[in-house]
Amino acid sequence: MAEQINEVVEKIFQAGERALGVRWKDGHESSYEIRDLRLKCPCATCVDEWTGEKRINEKQIPADVHPIQIEGVGRYGIRIRWSDSHATGIYTFEWLRSHCPCGRCSRQLKN
Amino acid sequence: MAQSISEQEILNALKVVKDPDLNRDIVSLGFVKKIKIDQGKVSFDLELTTPACPVKEELKKGCEEAVRKLPGVSHVAVELKSHVSSRPQFGQTTVLPQVRNVIAVASGKGGVGKSTVTANLALALSDSGAKVGLLDCDIYGPSIPTMFGVRGKKLESTVDQKILPLKACGISLLSIGFLSDDKTAVIWRGPMVHQIIQQFLTRVEWGELDYLLLDLPPGTGDAQLTITQTVALSGAVIITTPQEVSLIDARKALVMFEKVKVPILGIIENMSYFGCAKCGEVAEIFKRGGAQKIGDEYKVPILGEIPIDPHIVVTGDDGLPIVRAEPDSLTAKIYRMIAGAVAARMSVSNLTLSEAASLNVQWQNK
Ligand SMILES: Nc1ncnc2c1ncn2[C@@H]1O[C@H](COP(=O)(O)OP(=O)(O)O)[C@@H](O)[C@H]1O
Ligand SMILES: [Mg+2]
Ligand SMILES: [Zn+2]
Ligand SMILES: [Zn+2]
Repeated sequence: MAEQINEVVEKIFQAGERALGVRWKDGHESSYEIRDLRLKCPCATCVDEWTGEKRINEKQIPADVHPIQIEGVGRYGIRIRWSDSHATGIYTFEWLRSHCPCGRCSRQLKN
Repeated sequence: MAQSISEQEILNALKVVKDPDLNRDIVSLGFVKKIKIDQGKVSFDLELTTPACPVKEELKKGCEEAVRKLPGVSHVAVELKSHVSSRPQFGQTTVLPQVRNVIAVASGKGGVGKSTVTANLALALSDSGAKVGLLDCDIYGPSIPTMFGVRGKKLESTVDQKILPLKACGISLLSIGFLSDDKTAVIWRGPMVHQIIQQFLTRVEWGELDYLLLDLPPGTGDAQLTITQTVALSGAVIITTPQEVSLIDARKALVMFEKVKVPILGIIENMSYFGCAKCGEVAEIFKRGGAQKIGDEYKVPILGEIPIDPHIVVTGDDGLPIVRAEPDSLTAKIYRMIAGAVAARMSVSNLTLSEAASLNVQWQNK
């Protein structure tokens, strides 16, 4: 089974003051606004597992929320420990790639 | 007297020898080491990526022939060596840092022979010269202590509170069965499963290992989740019997590993057929080759088929798996072949998998 090259991470880094950067094996680079990433946390506390409904109250997430620690999870994602002490979210590489906010990716998603 | 041969000429000649698994010549793979030339006498090491390499003798012979053909060479001596390649590390270097490869042995259903296969593969790898450990994570029915005749043994720990695995038959063993009195059926609940497995992965003094095999509980539950999240597994091997009920669940296990990006080394079909001990005739009790269907579907190789053999049961119950108890039996040979296939697939996977990603981010607040 071959690896899916567009879901393989080469590097994760801080891209400016408020963005997390991911450089992918296929050369693409994604940049995620970090509060937006916190709001989209895919964990079971933040998203209802059955209905997919968001349970997060955006107003309760501080404006300056930021990662305290980022660690690899198995081979397939990262776990972010946030400054609001939320730490249960695993962002899989698959999820990150499919949520790349760049113009090209979001256009592709719409088509 | 003929002019002395050069190292470069030898390397050029050796380029015709290809490793069939890695599909590259042994020179560009860097397998040829320590070339010594003493007039017409040439010697060198052939360093493979696993001592269990199924074609090591062929490779050695190929090397000898290629070099002997060179003019001026009167004698060739090739020494087989191995250096087991490591899984590309991935952020979590702190988990099992001294273990080169962590391989999960999984099945969809219980009773398909997963523990038996794991035990025999571990011993076959160890017999080939590798340093091997076996971690029994089967919370529902840890059977490894029985198979190695070490039931009821107590574990010891180091001064810094690390658990020491047991040594049995030359391999390092640890089982969830060592934690409980085996007369009391313990029902581990989700959070406990998580805690125990995490301890097994992070607080055990395994020492340096080439292969650590994990005997997983059947299915795709809490234990599997904890394992795939805690350690960057090098690969997974799926065990199934040829029956449809077993195949359906094997497929689920395979999909789970695929989801978390663990390389699937292959599928082993157990209790595949019945070979008559007297006449050698093969009777296919179930539909043999059912695993091949999944293999084709997911492009995963079949690593081997193990026959139904009553000696497997007896040796398992007696505390010495068949690979050691009856090393000359056909079944033991089959296990050794499969161990070679697993090791070869592992080397290929390590070679082709992407380099470790760099995940270290120290967030700077401005
Ligand atoms: N190839 C085989 N032929 C005959 N009996 C087998 C074979 N493989 C396993 N067994 C037996 O089947 C039973 C279940 O095997 P086990 O390894 O405990 O399965 P699992 O770990 O999948 O639950 C054991 O009694 C074992 O000795
Ligand atoms: Mg078992
Ligand atoms: Zn969350
Ligand atoms: Zn993009």
